Formats: sequence, C-alpha cells, structure tokens
Amino acid sequence: MIEIKLNGKKHKIKENLTILEAAKQVGVEIPHLCYHPALEPEGSCRMCLVEIKGVPKLQLACSTQVKDGMEIETDNQRVREAREAVLEFLLASHPLDCPICDKAGECKLQDYYYKYGLFEDYFEEEKPKRCKLVRIAPNLILDQERCILCTRCVRFLKEITKTEELGVFNRGNESFISIYEQELIENNYSGNLVDICPVGAITDVDFRFKMRNWFLEKKKTICPICSRGCNINIHFLPNSFPFKKDKRVFRITSESNPKINGFWICNLGRYNYHYIDNDRILIPLKKDRELKEISWKEFYEQVGNKIKVLIQRKREERIGVIVNLSLTNEEYEVLNVFFNQCLVGSEIAVFGRKKGKSDGFLLTEERNPNTKGAKKFGFIEKKIDIKNFFNKKELVILFGNEIIEHYSIQLLSEILSNVKTKILIATTKGTLINLFDYILPSTVVPEKEGSFTNCQGIIQKFKRVLEPLGKSKSELEILTSLAQKSGIWKSFLLERRIS
Amino acid sequence: MIEEKLITKNLEVENLYKIEIYQKYNGYQALKKALLQMTPNQILEEVKKANLRGRGGAGFPAGVKWSFVPKHTNKPKYLCVNADEGEPGTFKDRFIMTNNPHLLIEGIIITCYCVGIHTAYIYIRGEYEHVAQRLEGAVQEAYQNNYLGKNILNTGFSLNLYIHRGAGAYICGEETALLESLEGKRGHPRLKPPFPASVGLYKCPTVINNVETLSNIPVIVLKGGEWFVKKGLPKDGGTRLFSISGSIKNPGIYELPTGTNLKDIIFNYAGGLKEGRELKAVIPGGLSAPILKADEIDIPMDCESIMNINSMLGSSAIIVIDNETPIIHVLKIIVNFYAHESCGQCTPCRNGTWWMKNIVKRIYEGHGKLRDIDNLLRIADNIYGKTLCPMGDAASMAVQAVLEKFREEIENYIQGRK
Repeated sequence: MIEIKLNGKKHKIKENLTILEAAKQVGVEIPHLCYHPALEPEGSCRMCLVEIKGVPKLQLACSTQVKDGMEIETDNQRVREAREAVLEFLLASHPLDCPICDKAGECKLQDYYYKYGLFEDYFEEEKPKRCKLVRIAPNLILDQERCILCTRCVRFLKEITKTEELGVFNRGNESFISIYEQELIENNYSGNLVDICPVGAITDVDFRFKMRNWFLEKKKTICPICSRGCNINIHFLPNSFPFKKDKRVFRITSESNPKINGFWICNLGRYNYHYIDNDRILIPLKKDRELKEISWKEFYEQVGNKIKVLIQRKREERIGVIVNLSLTNEEYEVLNVFFNQCLVGSEIAVFGRKKGKSDGFLLTEERNPNTKGAKKFGFIEKKIDIKNFFNKKELVILFGNEIIEHYSIQLLSEILSNVKTKILIATTKGTLINLFDYILPSTVVPEKEGSFTNCQGIIQKFKRVLEPLGKSKSELEILTSLAQKSGIWKSFLLERRIS
Repeated sequence: MIEEKLITKNLEVENLYKIEIYQKYNGYQALKKALLQMTPNQILEEVKKANLRGRGGAGFPAGVKWSFVPKHTNKPKYLCVNADEGEPGTFKDRFIMTNNPHLLIEGIIITCYCVGIHTAYIYIRGEYEHVAQRLEGAVQEAYQNNYLGKNILNTGFSLNLYIHRGAGAYICGEETALLESLEGKRGHPRLKPPFPASVGLYKCPTVINNVETLSNIPVIVLKGGEWFVKKGLPKDGGTRLFSISGSIKNPGIYELPTGTNLKDIIFNYAGGLKEGRELKAVIPGGLSAPILKADEIDIPMDCESIMNINSMLGSSAIIVIDNETPIIHVLKIIVNFYAHESCGQCTPCRNGTWWMKNIVKRIYEGHGKLRDIDNLLRIADNIYGKTLCPMGDAASMAVQAVLEKFREEIENYIQGRK
C-alpha cells in the first residue's frame, strides 16, 4: 500500500496502479477517451492530463503510475483549462450531427462536453468533410467525420482479436480510420467495436436508426448461446414507453466480468436476441382436433390427473421426460426431485443443442448454457435408442425443441404417435408443435431468475430482466404447480427440503 | 582567425568519401585507437569530458545518454543513427554523409564498441536517395576492410550496420517515431517513459544519436575530451555545422566553434544579406526554433545562450529573412509545415496545427480579423505542453514568437495597410 494525495485528500491505495485507476478506486473521475482498461494506454486523446506536484508539465493519468507521496490535482484551474483545450480541439473537427447520431445520449464526447465544455466558442473555420458511410464489416458502419481518432478500434483488433483489420491512414488532421482495400472485418468479435467506440463513429447496422438509446432500459443477464456464460446487458423498451412497439429488445451489449468474458462478447451472442420477442409461444394450447387455448389451471389438473393415475397403477415407467441443457440449476434440482425422487421409475433422456466450433476465444464448442449445472443433478446427454425410449410410454414431457437437431421430424412423428399424452414445454414455435397434445409457453432466460454453471464451473446468478411474454411461465413454476396436482406434493416438498 | 575544422577537415580532398582516400588522411585511426588501446569505459569518460551535446535539436549530452543504457542486460542493444534530417533549413547531415561518410561510420563503430552494441541502423530520410546510395557504398567498403562485420580488427568485437530509408515524414525524426518506423510500423511517437535507453528498438535498450553528433566521436577519441571542449564552450564542446539559408550572400555549411556569434556568422562568414536587402529576422535553429528579430542576433550560438532568449539552437540551421519578405508569408510557411507534418496521433497537435493553418490561410488571403491574432496565440498556448511528443511544442513556440514579435506588421496586413 502507498499513500497519495488526490485533490488535497489523502488516500491509501495499492501499488502499480495508474493515476486514472487509482482515482477511480477512490471515486474520482478523470475524463478519458482513448484509454480503455483492456487495451494498452495510447495517450493520444490528451483528455486525462493531470497535475503532479513537482512535475512541470501536465501528465497523463492513463499511463503514469502512482508513487508513494505523489500529490495529484485532477480538477484545478490548470487541469480544467487543458481539458477544455482538448475538448475544443476535438469539437473543431467533429460534426454536430448529434440529433441524428445513434450514440447521442451515451457518447463520451457529448457527456464530457456537457460537463466540462461551458466555454466561449472561437471556432470560425469550416469543419473538415469526411466520408460518413464506410462499410467496414457486414454489421458495422464507420462515420469518419465523427471519429476522434482515439484508435480504440484499431488497438482492439490488434491486441484482442489480433486480426488487425483496421488501420489509420494519412496523417495530421487528414488522418482517418479504415479497412485495408475492401477487406471487411469478419471476425466474431467485431460487434464490440460499437461498444468501445467512445463516439458515434462506429455504429451497428442492426441498431442504426432503430431507437433512441435513452428510451431503452439496460439490465444485466447471462448470454445463453454457449457454455461460457458471458455477462451481457439487454437493452429493452420498458413498459412505460408510451407508444406502440413491435419488440422489446433492441440490442445486446457486453457487461464486463474479468473472470469470464473480460469486456467482450461474441457476435453470435450479441445479435442473438430475436428469440426473445419473435415466434414465441404465448398461450397454453391443447390439441383437440385443432389447437385451442386452455388455461394453466386446466393443464395442471388434466395432466396432474394423468400422472396421478399412472402412480396409482404403479406405472411410473410409462412416463418419459426429455430435458434440454438450457435450464437453470434450480430447475434441474426440481426436475431431479420431481422425476427421480417422486416419480421413481420414470425415464429421463437429455438432448442439448449440438456442439459447434469453438472460436478459440470466448465462444465454446459446447453450445448449451448450463451443461455443467445439469450434470451436477445427473442430467447428462447420452446416446440412447430413441425408439426404445418411447416404446410403451403413455406420457411424455419434452423440455425445449433441441431434440429436432438430433432426429428427423418424420422419425419423431412416427415414434411419438403411439404415446397417449404428449406435452411440449418450449419458448418458440417450431415444427414439433404439430406432434404434441399440450403446448406450453415457457420463459426465455431474460424472463427467468436462477443460475447457470459455466464451462469454468463458475455459478452465475441472474435476475429476471423482462416480464414473461404472454402467458409464459418458467419451467420451475410449471413443475411446481404440476407437482401440486399430481399427487406427489407431500414427497415433493419433503425432498426439496432435504436437497 | 582560421577556425580549426573537426568534421569538414580535408574536405578539399577529392573523393574523400572513398575508403582508401579517407584512410590516407588518418581515417579509421580513431577506431584503431579505440578498439586496440582503450576500454569502453575510457571512451565513455572522454565523451563525457568532451561535453558533446546532441546536434539533432534537443542538445542532450551524448555521454550522459550512453550511460543510461544498462550495462548488463540479456537483451541485445541497438544504435539508431538519426539521419532523418527533416528540420526545415537543416542540411548538415546530408553534407557529412555525402562528403565524408566514413567519418560517420567510424563514429558509429566506436560508439557501438563503447556501449556494447552489435547492431546499428542508419535511419536516413527517404528523400536522400543519392546520399543513401553513397552511404551504402561506404558501408560495403567498411565491411570489406573489416571495420564492420565479425571480429573487427581481430579484437573479437562484431558489428553489423544497416541503412534504412524513411518514407518521408518529418515526425520520424522524433526518436521514438523513428523507432516505430524502423520496426516497420506507422511513424507515431511513443509514450515516454519508458525511454529508448531502456526500452527502445524492439523493446531493447537503444541509443539514438544524430549524424553530426556521432561524426564528432573519432576526433574526441583521437585528441581527447578536454581538447574537444576547448574547441567550443566549457559546457558545450566542439564545433558545429551551421546550415545557413535564406536571404544570404553565401548560403551553405559553416563549421564554426560552438558559441560563435550569430551576427558574425551572418555578416562575416556568410557574407551578409543579399544585395540591397536588410535583415528583418532570423530563425536560429531550424524552423522549430522561435524567430529572432534583427536586434536580437548579437548572441553566441550555443544551447544555453539561445535558450536564454527563449529560442533554441536546435539543429543550428540559420534561416535569414530579409526586409522584403512579408512576415505573414513566413507564418504561413510555418503553420502549413506543421499542419502537413503533424502525425495526427494526439489531439492538440492534430487539430491545433490544422486550425492555425486555416486561420493563417484566411488572413493571408485577406479575410483576416484582428481577433484572429489573439485566437492564434490562444490555440498555440492550448497546444503547448499538452502533446504527446515535442512537435506540438515546436509548432506552438514557432507560431507564438512570430505573432508576438511581429504583431504590428500582421495587424497592419489584416487591416490592409502596408
């Protein structure tokens, strides 16, 4: 530990920190644009200049290490004047198209100008004109006029993805960022460039001009696309939004977690949000020649009764359950109690999404979010004889649509045809719907709370971010309510208390 | 009085650039003395005693610079010779490399022996194509004579010397941008610290010296540091190559003792101004050195004296400006140069130089306003001390000096008066 004096106050802090990091730890903000905690300091924006007692020139907070006894001023007259000078320079070459800029409202330049930029305007020249629409990736557009040349994007592609698709061209105030020739950025992490761009220079084709970001609410959840469990923020329109809306979720951005995903998420996770609002099953349905809505209560009673009868006949082995690998640890626990402890003899099979290719960084081969958690409760994907599994089954409950990745619809249709009661609990409509008698809407990950165990074995809790769409319910709720109506309630409660 | 020449000695000798001629006139004798009779420490002591200050612009004592390099390290050490010579008005390094390349090479080898370096690079500006060719020839000759390569003069000391041509950016004369460029990257200055002496080329300890600085090493080795100091001033030893250009009768290179009076240089050595012209101003050390008015030039040309009147000796390039040159023209050249050569890495230099260029252009074209002068001063002040490398300060000081010293003339120009 060392002692420093920051704006006249003494603080004890760790060694080997930069002034900027140390100040942040004690709650003092030092404005910065080119500095990013995951990248090597560049020191080019000059926003973070601070005064150190005994050093004649102002020094960079982003790259200067704190030393014992150092006295630092981050907000005196001299520092403020330097900051204003830098802001004035930046704005001299920055277009004032904030009204149509997607970044407005979350732009660092705008925020800093609002906070530190109340000074007289001396700029009388014409602003430089540059290209405002450069396609640098299938998902990204670069506005070279808005770019403040902090080179965070260049450094991200150099230091993090090591793909180096962007470079600085020309020099002086004619410098601009671009791709080389026509080689687009095609790596799986390109979406992060939008997150790290401090201004509206790099915008996302997916989000461009879709929604003013200040209408969106941002909440943290876990990405369900693979077993990494990257921390993400879901940006959605809250219920208080007064106008008609077609969808709730407008984008996903990364949330930093040094143990898991650092500051980054992959493009698969970033652009995978349409499942939240699109093609959802909204109401419980029952096939009675055609699909008709039933209430949850009716479902619980009807299916509960069927289970009750099977228990009375001691025919638990006629119950088959197919579980996916996307449920929460809490749901696996309940599944285990429900089927293994209360309905002893019922048969369980596990089918997750098929393995994909790991990209060597965050995206894992394993494409289910909670394979590790499922394993802990005994739900392990194994090769089974599917025909044999369904043979003589009277009641089948399927969690999720994943089985369709493993067997053809014809085969499933054939082997399910002999089963008397077929229940599908899923979030989205798929081809399987036609094969089932009961179709029940379950909630997607952002609509639930619970925990996942990621590929590293880290248990991550998450909260409910969105209201369940339509009449959907979480698997946990469905199973608990069903247990009440199935004649296993007492043992269910008992087993749950034990485990 | 005839001053003793240290670097431009034997210049009248034909084909001095050829190794056999150079050797005939005592060439490579200093190298033999250094390698065969002296230890690296002894050489370092002589260079320190010589008070040899860097001739590239910053004027940092060479011996002190060398002593910053860690003695014991498992990393390779490098010497980079700064032959980028981009400072407007400066052409002395070209002069040395063209006429006496072996003097530089001899200085390089001794320096490397002294600091324990086995790989050296000459980073030469891209425009010096002929010079690079001549240098290349000289390097080949040096290899053939076993002054370079393995086991030099059978002492066991080895050194490889490479010539690297720049691509035409002023900023690559800044030592860390030079290193970046030499590594094959975009020539952007690096953050300091760390300094090149500890983390330089390829993250290894590196010495960076100017061509003229290194060309002084052989004579220091031969005659000793104390002798060298006496050729100049106690704190600023030896002679300097003054590049004189502008409105002057005899422009060219003049080797004179450090501390020679500027007025003397202009009016005696260089023959005074062109016929019928009067002195208006002098830029004493390359374009980055703040301008001096005609009544300020009675001053010794050494680092400290020039610093005392808020200018700098820089690369000792004297640009003479006469009374028929409008000062707005000088200002325009200055701001255009810095706006053109700003590397664009850091905000104040990138935008500030561009902004100043636009204002001066407007004034030059007759659309200036009186308040533009204060705004230019304000912008220059906003650049000063806030940039990543010294280029911003240079641009700022050069502009400020012109505006402050010739304010009246510029005001008159803006208001349409002669």
